[in-house]
Amino acid sequence: MKENILIIGGGAAGMEAATQLQKMGLTPIIVEKSEALGGHIAQWDRLFPAFHPAKDVVDQMLEQVKGVKTYLNTEVADIQRDNDGFHAILSNNEKIDAKAVVLATGFDVFKAERKQEYGYGIYNNVMTSVELEKFFRTGKDARINNPKKIGFVHCVGARDVKVCNTYCSKVCCTTALKQACEIKEVFPDAEVYTFYMDLRMFGPGYEDLYLKTQKDFDVKCVRGRVCEVSEDMDGRLVIKAEDTLFGKPLKMTLDVLVLMCSMEKNKSIDAIQQKLGVANNSDGFMQIKNMYLGMNDTAQDGVFVAGACTAPKSLPDTIGEARSVATQVFNYINR
Amino acid sequence: MLPFVLGMAFVLTYCVVGLLRVIAQLPKDDRKQFWRSLVTPKTAWANIRDLFGDCLFHVKIWKRNPVLGYMHSAIAFGWFMIIVIGHIMLFTLKPLQNVEVQGFEGMFTNFYYPIFYKFFATETPVFAFLMDFFLLMIISGILIAVVKKIYSKIVGVKRVTKFGLADNMIRFALWTIFPLRLLAEKTNIMGFWWAYSIDLCIFMCMLPFTRYMHIPTEALFILLRHAGLNAREPRKGYALAQIYSCPSCGLCIDACPMSVNDKNSGNTSAYFMKKLRNADDAEAKRIAETCLMCGKCVMVCPVSIESCDIKFSQRAAVPYNINSDHSYLDVISTETQRSGEILSNNNKVLYFAGCMTQLTPKIMRSMKQIMESAGENYDFMDKDGGICCGRPMLLSGKTAEAQAMIAKNTELIKKSGAKKLVLSCPICYKVFKDEYHLEGIEIQHHTQYIDELIKKGKLKVNKGEVNYVYHDPCELGRAFGVYDEPREVIENVGNLKKAKSEKELSICCGGSLGSFNLTQQERDEITENSVNDLMFNNPEQIVTACPLCLKTFVRKSPVAVKDIAEVVVENI
Amino acid sequence: MDFGFCLSPSSHVKMDTVDLTTFNRLKETNPDINTCIACGSCTATCTAGNFTEMSFRRILLMLQRGKEDEAKKMIQRCMLCGKCTLVCPRGINIRKILLDITR
Repeated sequence: MKENILIIGGGAAGMEAATQLQKMGLTPIIVEKSEALGGHIAQWDRLFPAFHPAKDVVDQMLEQVKGVKTYLNTEVADIQRDNDGFHAILSNNEKIDAKAVVLATGFDVFKAERKQEYGYGIYNNVMTSVELEKFFRTGKDARINNPKKIGFVHCVGARDVKVCNTYCSKVCCTTALKQACEIKEVFPDAEVYTFYMDLRMFGPGYEDLYLKTQKDFDVKCVRGRVCEVSEDMDGRLVIKAEDTLFGKPLKMTLDVLVLMCSMEKNKSIDAIQQKLGVANNSDGFMQIKNMYLGMNDTAQDGVFVAGACTAPKSLPDTIGEARSVATQVFNYINR
Repeated sequence: MLPFVLGMAFVLTYCVVGLLRVIAQLPKDDRKQFWRSLVTPKTAWANIRDLFGDCLFHVKIWKRNPVLGYMHSAIAFGWFMIIVIGHIMLFTLKPLQNVEVQGFEGMFTNFYYPIFYKFFATETPVFAFLMDFFLLMIISGILIAVVKKIYSKIVGVKRVTKFGLADNMIRFALWTIFPLRLLAEKTNIMGFWWAYSIDLCIFMCMLPFTRYMHIPTEALFILLRHAGLNAREPRKGYALAQIYSCPSCGLCIDACPMSVNDKNSGNTSAYFMKKLRNADDAEAKRIAETCLMCGKCVMVCPVSIESCDIKFSQRAAVPYNINSDHSYLDVISTETQRSGEILSNNNKVLYFAGCMTQLTPKIMRSMKQIMESAGENYDFMDKDGGICCGRPMLLSGKTAEAQAMIAKNTELIKKSGAKKLVLSCPICYKVFKDEYHLEGIEIQHHTQYIDELIKKGKLKVNKGEVNYVYHDPCELGRAFGVYDEPREVIENVGNLKKAKSEKELSICCGGSLGSFNLTQQERDEITENSVNDLMFNNPEQIVTACPLCLKTFVRKSPVAVKDIAEVVVENI
Repeated sequence: MDFGFCLSPSSHVKMDTVDLTTFNRLKETNPDINTCIACGSCTATCTAGNFTEMSFRRILLMLQRGKEDEAKKMIQRCMLCGKCTLVCPRGINIRKILLDITR
């Protein structure tokens, strides 16, 4: 039994699903639009809550997925379905026939320019969480120049109807505290503030991470959403927020402001998704069949989903879903 | 002929009483201004021009929609001509010499003879032709009206006003008057003459209670409008004349940005005027507070009813009970951010960003770059937060409270010694232009300012390749007619594409501070509609000149949305 | 049942006797009011709040904790500029609610 399974997306979800499907004796084929496997996680330095190097995890996954047929720098240009299954045409004009499709297309990072009041792209020293992670990985960023005061803004592009994203992006709270510790490690004398509404430390070890930020790193958490950022005469950032616990508006000068950008659905897949007949939910992510028992299923038989294309997810969530999607596909092929 | 005489007597009495009532309700100084305007040659000429142009020929409707224009002028002008010719015949042919008319009825012969001319006498061929010609002209107008009633889209009207029983009845009466007259004249059957007379009576007796009251009232309204009056109370004096002048034609319904949702088309000006007329205060108040105050209905109104002003006075008539206390403003003083240096009098340009622009730092940053690039001597007035311009407070109907802010800002501006005030926000621009007394200080919106800098050669820009579309902010475009300056600026830095609806017809972004009641979802619908209109010619970027429009469009636009200042900076 | 004597008034908010009439009335016309996450954006951005005590977030709480008079006093400072409504991440029509409170 050598049935082709088309996996769109070579990030954590796609790689893990491919690994499992191969072990089950099926033939997964990964189509990845970028030049390498690994997705967003390959751009990350360390993972919460235990500061585990992301490279370690990615390397293991790459090792396991080695035997899988993979197209890089390739997108699915068109896809048709008939009684035999799916027939895809790739952007390199190759044709692939498959019995099932797994959408593992992941997320896009919210474009911080859309919240103009935060000044990203206007003021030099405003950066995104992704860029800070790159700094941790490479040690290089012109904006980070021995800062004395650093601020983190939570929920940028999340829980915000003004950018049409009403959902919580799930991982930013934990990431912010992780990054707060890391920047303290690099600049022990710096003061680090986070501006949060709710600290959603929901997973195993996450609350320990929070305690660590308080006991070991002296990260100062202010409950209030930053609403305006401006620049002073010296080019430092002046932020305005309300300290809601103290009940007064507050103003603060910072050297670097980090925006914790939310996850949004990866829209580059929209056309193919439409051809496959998979709808979006009210948050703009892909609609799953059932939240409890059908999280890998879509309204279309044979089209499966895994990972952050259906909602913001952490890495462990994604790996779990990738493994369960493999089971679902296996059962579908042997139905 | 009795029914006609009764109807005529009733409607004339009603109009005279109404006229006296309106004039009595005018505030004293307004009344004076009104009398004076009647004898001022300039306004007198405008009066005559518009009385003929609007009441008879409906020039404004012609401009908007020629079919509707023909419909109105056919009926109005045709009817007018028939009456006039009737009178001419009466006095030139003197058919009454042989007819004995006495007593009470004799007093009205001059009224009704022309109307029933054929019943009493025969015409000469020339007059007969003219009479038949105008009668047919009227009937052709009525035919269009019947078609419009059945299928309004055929004459380019999507939504029409919904009418009550009385309005529907009188319309039927109006439609039947002239066919009946034609029948009566051609057959000379007594029954048709009676039907014609009774129909006229019904029409005139119902007239004061229906929308057709706009026919006599519009004449008065034109005189009052040219006197330059303002509606001060929502249902008295000038406003009353406007209320009765509204023909409920519904042209504003299609124009209103809220109509994108059928549920909200009941919040348009046509209905607002109706509620006022029916003294439905609660509804009038609700509509007044829902309105975006974008002014498009005023722009398209064939009668030029200033419904936004009336809504404004309606808001002021039932103000909110906040007992505003802005005494804290008294103690605010300016501190300069440059230590040691006091705001010097050499600063020629003062830049006031405004509350909304504080949330769009890119506009402020761009303005700074523009002023620096042009080598201007400038100062920011509200870099660290300012005082509201007062327009939002005015929009809530609280004039006195707004004055507190206006006074403080005036003080700060005068103290700066600036010769020019540049504003980025059209909301501010409107109130600075209308309510502030800043003698010796030129007030400009940044579109005008940038245009001037480019024209004077102070600011050098390059023409890029990007295709832009420009959105006219309501309070810059319709309020002050600033249409050309922004377009010229954009043409200097790139290619300007046209939107589907432009300039005075541009569609409000949906973010307007004018509305208090609209929900986020209702606003979103308006925004989407407005964006679609802008995307008509597939521009690559949307350019606007208002921070609020910018913030509103960004949420729903498929392409980048930028302020005009940003676009200019990209091409310096 | 008689529990005996109690001490003079405590400083607690007496939730058992709080009068929610105004808040409930507001809720009817502005159902969004309950979606507030108390992020404080409205307060931080407030033009009037730059000079004086004015906080919509606290006004909402005052109304829910029986401090209506205090709330009404605070509203007097408002300039109605609408910035709060523009920044509210929940899309609450704050300006309208402020006006409705004193209706």
